[in-house]
Amino acid sequence: MFKHQEMEINMGPQHPSTHGVMRLKLKLDGEVVTECRPIIGYLHRGVEKICENKTFAQGQIWSDRLDYCSAVANNLGWAEACEKLMGITVPRKAQYVRTLLAEFNRLASHLIWLATHALDIGAMTVFLYAFREREDILDINESYCGSRLTTTAFRIGGIPQELPEGFEQKVRTFLAKFPACIDEYENMLNENRIWKKRTIGVGKLSAEDAIALGVTGPVLRAAGVAYDIRKAFPYAAYSEMQFDVPTKPEADTYARYLVRMEEMRQSVRIIQQCIDGLPEGPIMAKIPKLLKTEVNEIYHPTEAPKGEIGYYLVGEKGGAGPYRFHVRAPGLLNLQSLPKMVEGSLIADVIAAIGTLDVVLGEIDR
Amino acid sequence: MKKLLRTLIPFDIAKGLSITGTYFVKVFLTANRAKVKQHVVSEYPEVPAPLEPRFRGRVQLTLDEVGDPKCVCCNACAKACPTGVITIEGGKKEGRKTRIPTRWDYEMERCVFCGYCVEACSFDAIKLNDQFELAAYDREDFSLGLHGAHNVLEPSPVGKFSYSDEA
Ligand code: SF4
Ligand code: SF4
Repeated sequence: MFKHQEMEINMGPQHPSTHGVMRLKLKLDGEVVTECRPIIGYLHRGVEKICENKTFAQGQIWSDRLDYCSAVANNLGWAEACEKLMGITVPRKAQYVRTLLAEFNRLASHLIWLATHALDIGAMTVFLYAFREREDILDINESYCGSRLTTTAFRIGGIPQELPEGFEQKVRTFLAKFPACIDEYENMLNENRIWKKRTIGVGKLSAEDAIALGVTGPVLRAAGVAYDIRKAFPYAAYSEMQFDVPTKPEADTYARYLVRMEEMRQSVRIIQQCIDGLPEGPIMAKIPKLLKTEVNEIYHPTEAPKGEIGYYLVGEKGGAGPYRFHVRAPGLLNLQSLPKMVEGSLIADVIAAIGTLDVVLGEIDR
Repeated sequence: MKKLLRTLIPFDIAKGLSITGTYFVKVFLTANRAKVKQHVVSEYPEVPAPLEPRFRGRVQLTLDEVGDPKCVCCNACAKACPTGVITIEGGKKEGRKTRIPTRWDYEMERCVFCGYCVEACSFDAIKLNDQFELAAYDREDFSLGLHGAHNVLEPSPVGKFSYSDEA
């Protein structure tokens, strides 16, 4: 009597839970997703090509706008990649400040992830609490560099200015209260039956698949692979820091949630070490006013909150800017795993899977 | 039996609700009375947002003692600007040794408020002021020059489109 038929629908690009302008082409059999194809490119601005026409110093403002939730981490990658290309050594104090701000940025990024992910799944309260703490981090950003979101925080060779007055006090106040806030989020979610039903066993991605697809960051670590660039190829001041790389073997949405929460705790630990051991000294290396390169080619990976962000730069002789520039955006490669996660599951789980990947379209489309 | 009880009595949800409840009671009992403020939301349009001293707002030129712009038209800022929104032409003025800008155009709609121009200027002639409420209805209002109601010498007319003016 009834005809059985598959249906093809578009989710996005204006769907609120696709976190931006991502479009998913879903093939549905009833409520079961049989095929999922992410379609990207709605936010393409041609960042790579623009940067090839700019100088190295100017390129940094476009790194802000890749993954705008973690601008400082992107700035760090850009500055370090340029320094690697030109063979500049950064003073120790600048390294520490960079590490500190990058870890703050990881907290901010994870908080915004937690807030929106929980909101998508239906936990509204966490959203408000996470944004409350994120506000403090943005205030710290503002006091350091004058901007809250698009920070342009570093310069090639160091950091632009000394830490402002009262900065240390602000950081210490935040560190004193933040661990209790993480406990608060966990008290609200960890045991909550709705949260558990919506996340446990949802969006599974095995370690083999994750590695084959190039997935990095918390998604990979929640599949039991302890790969963190901060440990594997230490940059900035990470080689002097004590911290653990949390992993979970379950490889589902709940495990990714736990891994990110633990990462926040580790970030607090790193920030504490940075502020306690902040060395004195210069903040800027001696560099020529006009930066010029030789023929050279580098790739510099750093651990952004969402995974490995790598900058590939090619220099030409006497060039003031990159000859070729490419970003390995963690979001783009993580998004590739979405079909693997959702095919065969219910349509409601697609929302959870998008949230758990922590997509930011600014870096996916570039 | 134990499992059934746990399903019937939602301890897990009560745990979450107790956190919300604690905050609710705290704020409810101490509203406008506590020395340490419990509520976190600011009443932004009525109460101006507090800004840090380093805040990067709109580009503004600083003036010297005679009221002329300090700018000597060296074009360093225009070269440093990543978006290329500064255009400068220099001229002469009686009694001034250095050059003086006859044109200092700044296209605010494309400025990213990065502060590179301020760092490039060795004459302290340019600063980023503390303005962030820069919305306007006309595109022309974003093209700032040396003259007119919107210019780079003074702060933009703020409050024109703000909440408090409407009432
Ligand atoms: S760098 Fe300073 S002095 Fe030179 S043109 Fe710009 S504002 Fe004028
Ligand atoms: S703040 Fe940045 S974008 Fe704006 S005028 Fe200055 S250098 Fe250009």
